[in-house]
Amino acid sequence: MTKRLPWNRENRWRWIDTLLAAIVVIGALLYVYELMVGSRGLQVDYIAANYGQYLRAVTVNLYMTTVAFVVGMTVGFFLGWLRTIRSVPVKKVIRDYTALADASSRSPFVRSGMLALTVAWTGVKYLVRRIGDAYVEIIRGTPLFVQILFAWSILVVNFPGLFTNPSSVAFTAGLVALTANTAGYQAEIFRAGLQTVHSGQVEAARALGFSRLGAMRHVILPQALRLIVPPLTNEYIGLFKASTLVFILGVQTEITFVANKNAFAGHVFEIFAIVTGIFLLITVVLAKVVQALESRFRIPGLGIQQTRSERHRARPAEVP
Amino acid sequence: MIRVEGIHKYFGTLHVLRGISLDVEKGEAVVVIGPSGSGKSTLLRCINLLVEPDEGRVFLEGTQVNRADIRREWVRQQVGMVFQSFNLFTHLTALQNVMLGLTQVKGISKDVAATKARQLLARVGLAAKEHAYPAQLSGGQQQRVAIARALAMDPKAMLFDEPTSALDPEYIREVLDVMTALAREGMTMIVVTHEMGFASSVASRILFMDTGMIIEEGTPDKIFHHPEHERTRSFVDKILR
Ligand SMILES: Nc1ncnc2c1ncn2[C@@H]1O[C@H](COP(=O)(O)OP(=O)(O)O)[C@@H](O)[C@H]1O
Ligand SMILES: [Mg+2]
Repeated sequence: MTKRLPWNRENRWRWIDTLLAAIVVIGALLYVYELMVGSRGLQVDYIAANYGQYLRAVTVNLYMTTVAFVVGMTVGFFLGWLRTIRSVPVKKVIRDYTALADASSRSPFVRSGMLALTVAWTGVKYLVRRIGDAYVEIIRGTPLFVQILFAWSILVVNFPGLFTNPSSVAFTAGLVALTANTAGYQAEIFRAGLQTVHSGQVEAARALGFSRLGAMRHVILPQALRLIVPPLTNEYIGLFKASTLVFILGVQTEITFVANKNAFAGHVFEIFAIVTGIFLLITVVLAKVVQALESRFRIPGLGIQQTRSERHRARPAEVP
Repeated sequence: MIRVEGIHKYFGTLHVLRGISLDVEKGEAVVVIGPSGSGKSTLLRCINLLVEPDEGRVFLEGTQVNRADIRREWVRQQVGMVFQSFNLFTHLTALQNVMLGLTQVKGISKDVAATKARQLLARVGLAAKEHAYPAQLSGGQQQRVAIARALAMDPKAMLFDEPTSALDPEYIREVLDVMTALAREGMTMIVVTHEMGFASSVASRILFMDTGMIIEEGTPDKIFHHPEHERTRSFVDKILR
C-alpha cells in the first residue's frame, strides 16, 4: 500500500488549479449575467415565487428518465450480449455436430433430428443477432426528436382506443421513445463492457465446469458491470437532458418553460437561471455520488486505476 | 486414467493436431515439450474439451467423453487446468477465487467451501493472503492460487499449460515446488513445461511434440541426453543451452 504523504509535490500546487478554474467559471457567469441582466437587476422575487413549479416539472423528467433507463438497461443488456456472439458458418456447425454424433450411441433417427435442431438454433441465433444489429444502427442513426414523434404517431394512429386522454398518450409515447432510445445506446455499452473482459477469464471459468450462463453470471457480468459504470452514468445524464424533448408532445417538462415565449416577458435570465441551475445541481450531484460509489467498490486491478490524489484519500484496504 | 486416440484438430485450414494418441496412467506425471505453435496447448484443451477435437476419441477413466450425450461441464470438473497467464478472477479475492467453483458449480455451502478453500490456500503456502485480490499478488502467488482453485474441484487429473513461463525467475521455484509436491502425492498430471529440472525429477515420461504430432517419447534421461530423432535433438539442444 502506498504511504499517505500529506504534503507531496502534487498536492502542494493543486490549489492553483482550483483557483484558476474558479476564476474562469465565475468570470463566465458574470459575463452572461451582464449580457442578459445588465443594469436591470436580477429579479430574485420571480425566482423565489416560481422555482417550485420548475422543481415539480423536473420530477417528471427524473421519473421518465429513470423508468426508461432501467427498462432500457434490461433490453440493452440482452441486445449487447447478443451482439457479442460470433457467427459460425453452417458448414462448421454440421461438421462439429457430426463429429460428435458419430461417437454417440444414439439411433440415426434421433441423431438427424438433433442435427436439424442444432442447425435451426444456429439460424435463429444468427437472425436475432442481425435484427439486434439493425436496431442499434437505427436508434443511433436517427434523431431522438424523430423517434419521439414516431412513437407518438404509432400510439395515436394504431391504438386510438387505448388512452382516454391526450396527455397520457403523450406521456406513454415519450416513455416508449426514451426507453427504445436508451436501450440501443446501452446495448453498445454492454457489448463493449462484455467484450472488454479478458477471454482468459471465461476460459478459466469454463475449465472449472461453469456453463456459459454460469460464467456470464459469476465471472463476466461482475467485471463488466464495474467497467461500464462510467459510460452508464454518462448515458443516464444524457438521457436525463434528452428527456426534456418530450415537451414537443405537450408533456410538462423543464424545457416547456424555456420554450414558452410568453413566459419570457422580462424574465429571460431568471428562467434560464432556474432551469440550468436545477439541471446542473442534479447532474453534478449524481456524478459525485457515482464517483464515490465507484471508489468505494473499486477492486484493485479492475478497470480504470485510481488517480494519485484519489489514492491518498481512499480508505486503506483491509489487505495485509 | 486419460487416454487420447488419434485426435485431429483443424483451425480453419490449419491442421493443428495430426493424429495424437496418448495414454496416461493413474498417478503418472507426463511432461510435454515442443516448439511454440506445435499444438501443446491445443492438445491439453482437447483433453478437457475446452476445444472439441474434430476427429478421434478422448477417454477419461475408460469412458469416452467427447460424445454428444456427455456434459462438457461434467468432464471439465474432473480435470483441473492451470494456465500460463494464471487467469485468476480479477474481481474476487484469493479465497473467493478458490471458493467460486465449489459454491456455484458444485453447490457446496459457503461455510464448507470457505473451510476447504482455506485449507487449499494453506497447502500452497498462501494462508495469509486470502483477502488479497489478484492484482495485489505476485505472479508466483497468483499461480499458486490458481493451482488451489483447480484442486478445489477434487479433479482426477491436472493439466498445466506452461505454468511458469509467464513468471519472473525468482517466482518459478515456489510454483514448481507446489507441483512437485502434488506429483509426489500421486496426482495424475500432464504438464507442458520447459523446466528441465522439474521434468527430470518428476516426469515419468517426456513427450516431444512438433507440428501437431508426437515425434518422440521416453524417460527424461532418454529425451534429454539420448534422443533418437534429429528434431528432438535440435530442440533439446536449444532449451538446454
Ligand atoms: N482458437 C484458435 N483459433 C485459431 N488458431 C489457433 C487457435 N488456437 C491455437 N491456434 C493455432 O494453432 C497452433 C498451435 O497452437 P498451440 O496449441 O497454442 O501451440 P503451443 O501451445 O504448442 O505453442 C498455432 O499455430 C496457433 O496459432
Ligand atoms: Mg501454448
